Amino acid sequence: MFLSIIAMRILQAVPTLLGVATLVFFLLHLVPGDPVDALLGETAMATDREALREALHLNDPILMQYGHFLQQLWQGDWGTSLINHRPVLELILERLPATIELALSSLTLALVLALPLGYVAAKYAGKTADISAMSFSLLGVSIPNFWLGPMLILFFSVTLGWLPVSGRGSFENLVLPTITMGTALAAVLSRMARASWMEAMNTDSIRTFRAFGVSEHQLWWKHGARLAAIPVITMFALQLGAVLGGAVITETVFDWPGLGLLTIEAIQRRDYPLVQGCVLLIASFYVLANLIADLLSMALDPRQRHHNS
Amino acid sequence: MMRRLFIFISLSIPFLLLIAGYLHPANAYQVDLDQILAPASWSHPLGCDELGRDVLARMAQAICLSLSISLAVIIFGGSLGISIGIVAAWYGGIGDTLLMRLADIILSFPGILLAIALAAMLGPGIDNLFIALLTVGWVGFARLSRAQVLSLKNSAYIQAAIACGSSLPSIAFRHLLPNIAAPLLVEASFGLAAVMIAEAGLSFLGVGVQPPTASLGSMIREGTRFLLIEPWLVIWPGLVLFMLVMAINLWGDHLRDKLDVRMHP
Repeated sequence: MFLSIIAMRILQAVPTLLGVATLVFFLLHLVPGDPVDALLGETAMATDREALREALHLNDPILMQYGHFLQQLWQGDWGTSLINHRPVLELILERLPATIELALSSLTLALVLALPLGYVAAKYAGKTADISAMSFSLLGVSIPNFWLGPMLILFFSVTLGWLPVSGRGSFENLVLPTITMGTALAAVLSRMARASWMEAMNTDSIRTFRAFGVSEHQLWWKHGARLAAIPVITMFALQLGAVLGGAVITETVFDWPGLGLLTIEAIQRRDYPLVQGCVLLIASFYVLANLIADLLSMALDPRQRHHNS
Repeated sequence: MMRRLFIFISLSIPFLLLIAGYLHPANAYQVDLDQILAPASWSHPLGCDELGRDVLARMAQAICLSLSISLAVIIFGGSLGISIGIVAAWYGGIGDTLLMRLADIILSFPGILLAIALAAMLGPGIDNLFIALLTVGWVGFARLSRAQVLSLKNSAYIQAAIACGSSLPSIAFRHLLPNIAAPLLVEASFGLAAVMIAEAGLSFLGVGVQPPTASLGSMIREGTRFLLIEPWLVIWPGLVLFMLVMAINLWGDHLRDKLDVRMHP
């Protein structure tokens, strides 16, 4: 029974992925006027225009183009960059490690900040500790990444001279982008941790444990934490996908050579197949993270399995 | 009480700047090559940017533009999303399924990625920025109002209204909307904060508002090039954006507590 629910959920991700690919395909057709004009300029030679038209399959009917696009995706051919004529997938895979490095370090920072904050806020709800923790969370949610980044550079790199302004390579390079991206993630996660911990501590099961004389420490950390962990872990898995989207801005601020910066470079150079590839990869990651979040919460929470079946 | 005080404080600085900017006689587009990156002075209270344009006048224009775009996205996106949500929940069937699939697909793009891609493909400019933000912005309202209407649809008073021969528009305005307004208002206020950050983010990336027009995001973008020489060019627009977004988020928290709306994560 449980296995069939899992299989169903995995199968549900397939049409979503197909929908994402469809939307990404039609993105190219949003380019106003003739994409070839947009790419080459109106003064280009007729032979060049025809060659590009052929390369992008723009002469075929649109449904054939769509079918062709899906078929190529399936075969792992994500098209060719218009600028340096290398396969899109190859360019993306080159940049992926940098983004994953940044994503993992930001998520780690977010967890390390959010769990203690959420715990303190839930335990001392309504008191100064709670208000301070939630004020931090509010700041984190409200501060735009593309402003926090430059402000950190100004303070730590320019005024104090402790950390490099941009680039990738050493541990020092990683610090500022990680703080920039981790703060917002920690803000969301700590709110979540506070809410679910408080809710968990209000359940009948905790009240029963308390009546049986289980110590407060055990109530919070053993029984409460187990209940509270489910939504927090689900949220964390969702953020795993969302950081790739957020990386576009942070990577631009710090000149971090990852997937996000590649996307922006592709946009600036009007390298449309590369834009399509980047967007498709980031969105697919996000769909996958959603799937993992759902499966995890099903695995952790027996109530959901019964609820779904 | 504390919260209201914070809302007041964080709104006061942007609005003071807005008023000061409109009272200030400088023109937001007036290039003055003698004043390039000039520090603050009596004639230019916030200094000048890299083309010698008055920063205070540009700030006022940027605050006004960012607020109007974001409000317009929430008002249009909200009306569109709520209408779609109500109609989808009311009639159900294949239309409902298709619309909700579309919503799912749009939500499969993390954060502002889809808006970035749309704005990039459509080309820069305020109208395309608006379209990109709207495409992403209606979804939350549609899903929320659909879920709410589905749970209300079978209640006795709605069934009674149907039995009396009321049409959908009259039921929607008389019975449905007043009953689902609370969560929608909370969604709208958090949505406004998110749209403001998204708008500024797109303009920061260069796919939104284009020079010479000033928006908070494009001012940060232009200012970061001179971060080491004149950091105030970045500090001011970012600070104002941050305070506006914080005030709106606080307002959302306030509404949520006051209207007792249970938010689903």
